[in-house]
Amino acid sequence: MNKLQIPSLVDQLKEEQQPDAGDHHAPGTMVLVLLLLVSFAVYYFANWKALADVWHVR
Amino acid sequence: MGIYPVKAGWFRAPEGGERLWIGLALSWCVILSLAMPYWHFKGKQNSTGESYRVTPLAFAQRVGKFVTSNQVGELQGVAVVEASPGGDAYLQAQMWRWYPILKFKKGQTYRLHVSSMDIQHGFSLLPMNMNFQVLPGYDHVLTITPTEAGEYSIVCNEFCGIAHHAMTGKIVVE
Amino acid sequence: MATTFPAPIPHQGLAPYVDPPAVGGNHLAASSRVCPTTGLTVCLVAERYIRFNAVAAVVALLIGAVAALLVALTRWPAVHLLDPVWYYRLVTAHGTSMLIFWIIFMEIAILYFASTALLKTRLFSHKLAVASFALMVVGALMTEVVIFAGKADVMLTSYVPLRAHPGFYLGLILFAVGALVGVGNFFGTIYIAKRDRTYEGSVPLVTFGAIAAAIIAVVAILHGAVALIPTFLWSIDLIGAPDPAWYRLMWWGLGHQSQQINVCAMVSCWYLLGSLTVGAKPLNQAVCRGAFVLYILFINLASAHHLLVDPGVSAGWKIWNTSYAMYLAVLASMIHGFTVPASVEVAMRKKGFNKGLFSWLANAPWRNPGFSAFFLSLVIFGFIGGITGVTLGTQQINIIAHNTLRIPGHFHATVVGGTSLAFMGLAYYVVPLIFRREYPLKALARWQPYLFGGGIVLLSLSMSLAGSYGVPRRHYDVEFTGAQFATGFDSGAHLMLGLVGIGGVVAFTGLLIFILQTVWAVFLGKKNEGKMEAWS
Repeated sequence: MNKLQIPSLVDQLKEEQQPDAGDHHAPGTMVLVLLLLVSFAVYYFANWKALADVWHVR
Repeated sequence: MGIYPVKAGWFRAPEGGERLWIGLALSWCVILSLAMPYWHFKGKQNSTGESYRVTPLAFAQRVGKFVTSNQVGELQGVAVVEASPGGDAYLQAQMWRWYPILKFKKGQTYRLHVSSMDIQHGFSLLPMNMNFQVLPGYDHVLTITPTEAGEYSIVCNEFCGIAHHAMTGKIVVE
Repeated sequence: MATTFPAPIPHQGLAPYVDPPAVGGNHLAASSRVCPTTGLTVCLVAERYIRFNAVAAVVALLIGAVAALLVALTRWPAVHLLDPVWYYRLVTAHGTSMLIFWIIFMEIAILYFASTALLKTRLFSHKLAVASFALMVVGALMTEVVIFAGKADVMLTSYVPLRAHPGFYLGLILFAVGALVGVGNFFGTIYIAKRDRTYEGSVPLVTFGAIAAAIIAVVAILHGAVALIPTFLWSIDLIGAPDPAWYRLMWWGLGHQSQQINVCAMVSCWYLLGSLTVGAKPLNQAVCRGAFVLYILFINLASAHHLLVDPGVSAGWKIWNTSYAMYLAVLASMIHGFTVPASVEVAMRKKGFNKGLFSWLANAPWRNPGFSAFFLSLVIFGFIGGITGVTLGTQQINIIAHNTLRIPGHFHATVVGGTSLAFMGLAYYVVPLIFRREYPLKALARWQPYLFGGGIVLLSLSMSLAGSYGVPRRHYDVEFTGAQFATGFDSGAHLMLGLVGIGGVVAFTGLLIFILQTVWAVFLGKKNEGKMEAWS
């Protein structure tokens, strides 16, 4: 695929101005956010594990 | 585009990948919300905030009484005090020391009262890395059970003036 | 001045764009200009105060940055640069200059921009803009002078009964009143725009985010007044000392909510920079706006996050306020964390970068510092700041995190790697478009977000790791020299603290490049008549 030029700011702002893109086909983003969710869960539960190892306290 | 006004009628229910993600994120938030009450009932480490109003003077008197009746030795001029298992222990924070040195038995439970004589301090148990806030005027009760024997340090982790970083104390667990 | 406003565009789809009047609806004669690059109508009075506030912000940033470097070099055990007096003094100065002055001056500038330029209206009141700016400058100067004179070595939080010179509290109060006046001017501007019908339909998303930030700012500043006014009266011996637990609750009503102002302003910046750099459009206005509403509704009691191991408040109170107030605000951030990159992805795919999962990302304008700062900000905020923040703010987990370096490890990823980096990205557009000057060394500017972002990532991660050994925050000496009972940390913690120092130096270098380039551009840069040179 040819590398396309990203249009200049002026050209972009002249583009059709619908408020919403309306298109939800963003598979790359879905992969990124799932990666976030997995890292989140790993870090979160690792911290519960670390907490379980300290003295008991109430 | 995010920088232009939008005409009325822009409301649309979320759909597609966006809707899926909102569902996933909301489910995760529910898990996060349930984890804390779960640990409160089933977990062994909780900060319940049990505390009572106390004047610094009254607290110092309780510490004094505790030291007089339970002292077992002295280390570098500071009283070493052994609390009775299941009973009360007292720890006084002031610029810039923790008093006295406490002696606990592994696996026994103590009601550790912590308060400050002057400004705010931070109780930080090393190398265990357990941290609690210490306020003047509040008797903060930590019902603790040491799970491992050894020598532990207490350092201050709430800024309390120029020698804050030299404020250390000791807990010995046998 | 030539106006090159885009030609009218035919109505399309559900909500067509309507070409606004060529000159803004309610501007007085000769009080506005049309930006040749964006076609936005710029109110000249607002523009002046956007400039003033931005310049004050950068001055505060410079003070905060020098303090940051010296503090980082002190926490690097092998360097241990300052003496304890100046260490604690500069931690106070660093926190106050960055978290209060840099951020809030910048936010007032953003509020003026998001109301006047995006709604094509004039500023509500010139006098209020003067009053706001004067109060903020006087307040900031007073506080800085008191801190550097050594009369307020109390940290930003100034927990009572630790006591500072009255000028410290008074300066902060004046600054807050000035900010409140500026926020009032913003709301006034929104009001006259609506009254004069300068726009049709609903306000732009970026303005909506700014409104959310402004609402939270009002609530935050009121908490600040409740905490600081009695403390000021106590400092001049008019009343007794406020209760320490009460002070913490109220102060964090200011301290935590003002972070949510930052988040709102930063997310608005993301949407703005997404539009400016790749022409991104929000996928769904309802979702994006709904997420901002969640911030407004559910952040108030996040003050509780700072009291999770405190006496005086019960476990039930802590757990309820952590989950109720927090997780719906977390949901909002997670939603933005999807919609922002998704809007970039959709825009890039429309341009033809459609191959595979990530060619849209690989081909993004990474050489445009406006884009790289924006996207790095998004990633650092989400992956480091967000994850650590929610975890540390979990009631019981806070036991192994409270007041350790894990806390600054978290918020340097949110407010520095997130908010400040996003604001830098904004500057790469504000300077050419509002100041109408070009950055002198473009190649250096292209590197700057990576250098700064990289330094902050290193700093933040190593702070978090050092903190997991229990290394305290705001602490001069991890060797505990001179302490009655010797203690310390093992080599792992020392290594991490060394990396904190290195990360700090790298981030400072990136920050200094930003400040010098921006100051140079603003005062000596090549004039561009508002037609900015493209970054990529």
